[in-house]
Amino acid sequence: MVYTSESVAQLVDELSRLPSIGRKTALRLALHILKQPRERVVALADALISVKDNVRYCSLCANITESDPCSICSNTKRNKSVICVVEEPNDVLALERTNEFHGLYHVLGGALSPLDNVGPEDLKIKELLARLDEPVQEIILALNPNVEGEATTLYLAKLLRPLAIKVSRIARGLPIGSDLEFADEATLARAIEGRVDIS
Amino acid sequence: MNIVSVELRRFRNHHATALEFGPSANTLLGENGQGKTNVLEAISFLCLTKSFFAKSDSVAVQQGTSGFEVSGTFQSDIGSRFAVRTSYDLASAGKLYDIDGKPPETYASVIGRFPIVVLSPENSSITFGTPVERRRFLDLVISQSSASYVEEMVEYRRVLRQRNAILSDAARKLVAAPQAEEMLEPWNESLIIRGTRLVHKRREFFSAFAPYVEQAYVALGAGSEQPVLVYQPQIGDGETPEAIAQQFRSAVAAKMRDELRVGTTLVGPQRDEIQFSLNGLPLRQHASQGQHKTFLIALKVAEFFFLKERVHEVPIFLLDDVFSELDELRAQKLLALTATLGQTFITTTAAHVFGKAAASSAKTFSIHNGALRSS
Repeated sequence: MVYTSESVAQLVDELSRLPSIGRKTALRLALHILKQPRERVVALADALISVKDNVRYCSLCANITESDPCSICSNTKRNKSVICVVEEPNDVLALERTNEFHGLYHVLGGALSPLDNVGPEDLKIKELLARLDEPVQEIILALNPNVEGEATTLYLAKLLRPLAIKVSRIARGLPIGSDLEFADEATLARAIEGRVDIS
Repeated sequence: MNIVSVELRRFRNHHATALEFGPSANTLLGENGQGKTNVLEAISFLCLTKSFFAKSDSVAVQQGTSGFEVSGTFQSDIGSRFAVRTSYDLASAGKLYDIDGKPPETYASVIGRFPIVVLSPENSSITFGTPVERRRFLDLVISQSSASYVEEMVEYRRVLRQRNAILSDAARKLVAAPQAEEMLEPWNESLIIRGTRLVHKRREFFSAFAPYVEQAYVALGAGSEQPVLVYQPQIGDGETPEAIAQQFRSAVAAKMRDELRVGTTLVGPQRDEIQFSLNGLPLRQHASQGQHKTFLIALKVAEFFFLKERVHEVPIFLLDDVFSELDELRAQKLLALTATLGQTFITTTAAHVFGKAAASSAKTFSIHNGALRSS
């Protein structure tokens, strides 16, 4: 594409580096930004710089934070004997929205994926093991239900087995509020596989 | 399932061809290279989201154009209509597919919604060729009858690729063997869990499918011969998933050293074989050309009836240029059988083979130079 403005071309280049943004979307965003009042654009630019300058990783759970330890790790009301292991910071946000989990988190920063050159040493696994010096009763593995999440779960389960800590993994199954008949076969098959005793 | 109409745009040698089909036999007549098979291929794109023989989508784009578009209307056995559309853009190498304007969650989820059975000259490799061809046949039949199998296969292949990435690094000495073995551990477990499910499903499929092949032999008037299909999984001749997993585990351990050396996974259902035999003798070594052809047709007829019962929908039968391969007698038998089946599509250069066998309701289309010749 040939742009009549070099600045627009440069902005499109930068925006299209973002995940799931193609060049057409990037151009639409660039033209939208161009139409905004200057202060809105400055606010956006400031927010971008601030996220890079001020956000750090919590030295305990590896979640993103501005104060170390993060607000969850330093919250005295949280149950420190349960750690929920997740892949990314947005998984923490998802679990927090449920208001059902009151323990601590540990953010691995991804899942095992040899194709992307991600091995155990690239994940915050050593950091997780270091946290277990404190008395921890249960570790919940809440990784994504895909091939990489499953391999990571298997890896961690084996690593944690000798430590005499209860290790569980979140259930896989049917979405709430939908009918059984509308569930896809794979989900239904997993739900049957992971059925629970109610007696 | 019937396909009521189809429209091909910039698809192979068809610039813009629209066809309306009948509910029984539809014959596409024309000289070689005029674009008969391309119509079947377009139907395959609508049913399976891909060609039944070409490896890539881009080859179906008409020379000198930027991409193809195929749309069609399906009618289910109970009369519901679906508008299916797929297009491919060369520049972005992007494919779009939608049913009634809605894209499916995954392409894999489409497999089996519009069941088809294809019999084409390439299929002779199922009985003559390498195990890869037989596994492909097997996987497509099970996939069309079980959505979870497609899912399982996609995930198993992903595990294989992940595992092979480690093995390949080890083979090229980028990672030391002991370290690679440690990295492989979780992937071994995934391979065993998922591989066991595939082997178990394939085993179940064979016990269900075998009687259909025997019945097809009877229907084709070859009932005096006894066809046998034997599933030969590379590992796991156990009956229960637990027994298969146990054997899988020992095989993975036993092959580890070799795998680290060659840099690829050597155990699992990607190495399964299917043996066909006739009257107690292996087909590949002992059967005549004619027996091979009958076996192949029987497999396809069996696939048809198997899918019909499993999917609760009569599959669409595509017969691509099969009459040039068959003698008069076999051709007549197959035609007599397919005339009673449901909607069939037949491409041929010769009109005379049909004779009385062609149903009275059959529709014939003359295809010439990528277009329908009005006659």
